[in-house]
Amino acid sequence: MKIFVCVKQVPDTETKIKIASDGKSIDTSGVKWILCPYDEFAVEEAIRFKEKNSSATITVLSAGPDRVVDSLRTALAMGCDDAIHIQSTENADSFITARALAKAIEKEGPAYLVFTGKQAIDDDAAQVHQALAESLDLAAATVVLNAEYGDGVVRLSREIEGGALEKYELKTPCVIAAQKGMNEPRYASLPNIMKAKKKEVKKMNLSDLGIQETDQKISYSKMTLPPERGECKMISGDVTTAATELVRILKDEAKVI
Amino acid sequence: MYLTIKAISVLVSILFAFAYFVWRSRVLVQLMNSTQKTGPKIETLVPRLIAVFKDVLMQSRVRRKRVPGTAHAMIFWGFIVITVGTVEMMVEGVFHEINLAFISPTLNHWYQWFADIMLLAVLLGVFYGFFRRLILKPKYLVTGADALMILAITAGLMLSLFAMNTFKIATDPISLFGVYPLSSKLYSLFGFYDLSTENAFIGTEIFYWVHLLMVLGFLMYIPHSKHLHILAAGPNIFFKHLGTPKALEKTNLEDENATSFGLGKISDISWKTSLDLYACTECGRCQEVCPADLTGKPLSPSRLIHDFKEELFLQKDLLLQKKYDDIPSVIREGSAVTEDVIWSCTSCRACEEVCPVNIEQTNLIFESRKNLVLMESKFPAELQTVFRNMENNFTPWAFGSDTRADWCKGLGVKEMADHPKAEVLYYVGCAGSFDDRAKKVATAIVKLLQKANVDFAILGKEEKCNGDPARRAGNEYLAQMLIQENVAILNKYKPRKILTGCPHCFNTLKNEYPQFGAQYEVVHHTTFLADLLREGKLKPHKNFQQEVTFHDSCYLGRWNDIYSDPRAVLEAIPELKVTEMPRNKNKGLCCGAGGARMFMEETIGKRINIERTEEAIGTNAKVIASGCPFCSTMLTDGVKAKEKQDTVTVKDIAEILEESLT
Repeated sequence: MKIFVCVKQVPDTETKIKIASDGKSIDTSGVKWILCPYDEFAVEEAIRFKEKNSSATITVLSAGPDRVVDSLRTALAMGCDDAIHIQSTENADSFITARALAKAIEKEGPAYLVFTGKQAIDDDAAQVHQALAESLDLAAATVVLNAEYGDGVVRLSREIEGGALEKYELKTPCVIAAQKGMNEPRYASLPNIMKAKKKEVKKMNLSDLGIQETDQKISYSKMTLPPERGECKMISGDVTTAATELVRILKDEAKVI
Repeated sequence: MYLTIKAISVLVSILFAFAYFVWRSRVLVQLMNSTQKTGPKIETLVPRLIAVFKDVLMQSRVRRKRVPGTAHAMIFWGFIVITVGTVEMMVEGVFHEINLAFISPTLNHWYQWFADIMLLAVLLGVFYGFFRRLILKPKYLVTGADALMILAITAGLMLSLFAMNTFKIATDPISLFGVYPLSSKLYSLFGFYDLSTENAFIGTEIFYWVHLLMVLGFLMYIPHSKHLHILAAGPNIFFKHLGTPKALEKTNLEDENATSFGLGKISDISWKTSLDLYACTECGRCQEVCPADLTGKPLSPSRLIHDFKEELFLQKDLLLQKKYDDIPSVIREGSAVTEDVIWSCTSCRACEEVCPVNIEQTNLIFESRKNLVLMESKFPAELQTVFRNMENNFTPWAFGSDTRADWCKGLGVKEMADHPKAEVLYYVGCAGSFDDRAKKVATAIVKLLQKANVDFAILGKEEKCNGDPARRAGNEYLAQMLIQENVAILNKYKPRKILTGCPHCFNTLKNEYPQFGAQYEVVHHTTFLADLLREGKLKPHKNFQQEVTFHDSCYLGRWNDIYSDPRAVLEAIPELKVTEMPRNKNKGLCCGAGGARMFMEETIGKRINIERTEEAIGTNAKVIASGCPFCSTMLTDGVKAKEKQDTVTVKDIAEILEESLT
């Protein structure tokens, strides 16, 4: 019973993002890379599934430059069995990544379950899980908060607007994209960190998987940082004067009313 | 005829009791040596002998608690004297007339006189013991049957000796009356003049046997009771950790053969820790001062020692047979030691400071945490984020590491990268770099340094958390990663002096970095400022007309013996009046933040910072001074919780000094 977890390495949430000199990408120097927090939920979910299903093996895979191996090791330390690193470029789009992951899973499969995070916290595109399911021709559920695993079936709830939950029953194999709160990811123990250093990380190239760079659908023309937040303006005075002043500012200065 | 029978009976009794005693003691020594961890290396002799002289013979640590300590010393010294007589009794019982008088009649005369007085000293001590345990009943003192039994036997030993001496006088009043000054009074009191020599002899012999059998019974009982301390306390003091500062144990994480790290099973302790456990007599002094126990947490240091000792004895057979795999974890279903016990400790070391026999309670805590984190991944949930922050951004708080030097923008602070030959490396620490309140303290320190024309520089982005919170939270792996990275940077610059703005940075850099190959002169800012004042490089002139109370940080005080420097800074400020809290200096109560408790929720019992803040507010001082960003945070929270923020402020020593200069 093969379980796959697709993960992405992203800049740490506290990293100050800088635009590279080409104006089209981010400056990766000084960036602290981490395993995407949503993908941690996916890894944890896979491990918990394995703990109840001893015949399961977990393969964690990621597409990206050589640095992503560190994040694969993090997932291995948490409890994945082996890893695949698909060598890909810094700015590969969701389409290429999803296709590459799908091809690798087909090669190593068949998959019983595929877990991913609901989105990566760098580009927040939230595309790969669905594109991946499409490439594998599997059902997918995204933003999943909890899942129960039956025989050949997964009963799950996914979060929708307004805090409501949608309940689904999916036939396996299927793709499940984890939302924060699905579980509490574990902290790897030292023996597992040590073991992870020795576990196999299989290398694959895009070309091995039949993908060309020309398959890229998105090209970046320009990247800019969000505008800096202006200073906060405090309006003093009693309620009437303050309200009058607020209306005046909104009308004359901000010109929104 | 009687003497022959007596000689044989005494010899048989002595041999039997001693054989049992030696057998049982050997088991205890074997048990000590059957645990798996390597103990400390004992290399020095003279300071150890001095410690034994002071703390065993002179009872100096025991006597710090005045009345019970004096009572204990009376019993101890009394026993030392009386034991000579006990040996004499045994020898004389076997070899008739081979006694002290045989060696020297004068010596014997003086000895018997003195020993007779010491009997009373011991009795008084024992009487106080009963009084304390049955009437005073201090909360920290656990009185079991064992304790009362020991007191009763001790009293019985003395009374039987008095009786024996009194009858002995009656056997030969002309030469013996006056030799035993107190027994002679009893002789007169009971009117033993009429006693026939024969009856006097019978009486003497009866009490000889009563006393001897009690001595031998006691001897056999000792290794089974908490009174084991009379055997183990001396060695424990001899083998103690010398000096106040100490480093946490460095675990070799690269050891490929290691199957476990830290203390999971009782077999994971060293012979020295076993000795610690044997040496405890449950006097409860550690419990009396423990911030965790004081505020209703499940941890009491004396109970911790007791519970580990029980566990050691419980697993005795498996340990002696070296069946280590069959030994269960110390923390298991139904065991007295729980995870809450282990996580309650603030590592303030009040227990170790007060312990009369130098037991190191915190070693058990630190090693147990190590095992829980590294092997089991079990720790309070809120620590996971803290660990992640330290892994990714090298600070326990969620701030990007590249913003570490942002606090000093515009202050004209140089970085070591641009000024590698600076005389002083100011190691700012995470609080000073990221915490809004502590940034102001760091700024005050910078201004003071600039005013005193100190040539200094900071590490800026090259600085990382010193590892203290990770290490004290049991994450030795993460701590060593941080330490090694810092060590590499420090060794690149080889600074002449490192100044820290935090006692935790100070303690780790000074006492623990040498374990990793970085040995530098490290000073805490209060010491550094006190030196600047002494040298006249800073001259406070503005009056500070408020009363100040100083809160001793554990990692400055009990971990490093620094009490006078912060006070010297305060006293140098005109008109500043220092009011001490009842618990100050080495008795100062922890703020509740040490041992990485700063980063954990405090859900059980009363909050420690409230307990301490109440004490500070109780002095009526308007300013609570501190030398530690963690203490400041805890006390500030305490002041807010007590709704005193309008009248009481918490300030760092550096801020107070800086104010008096501008």
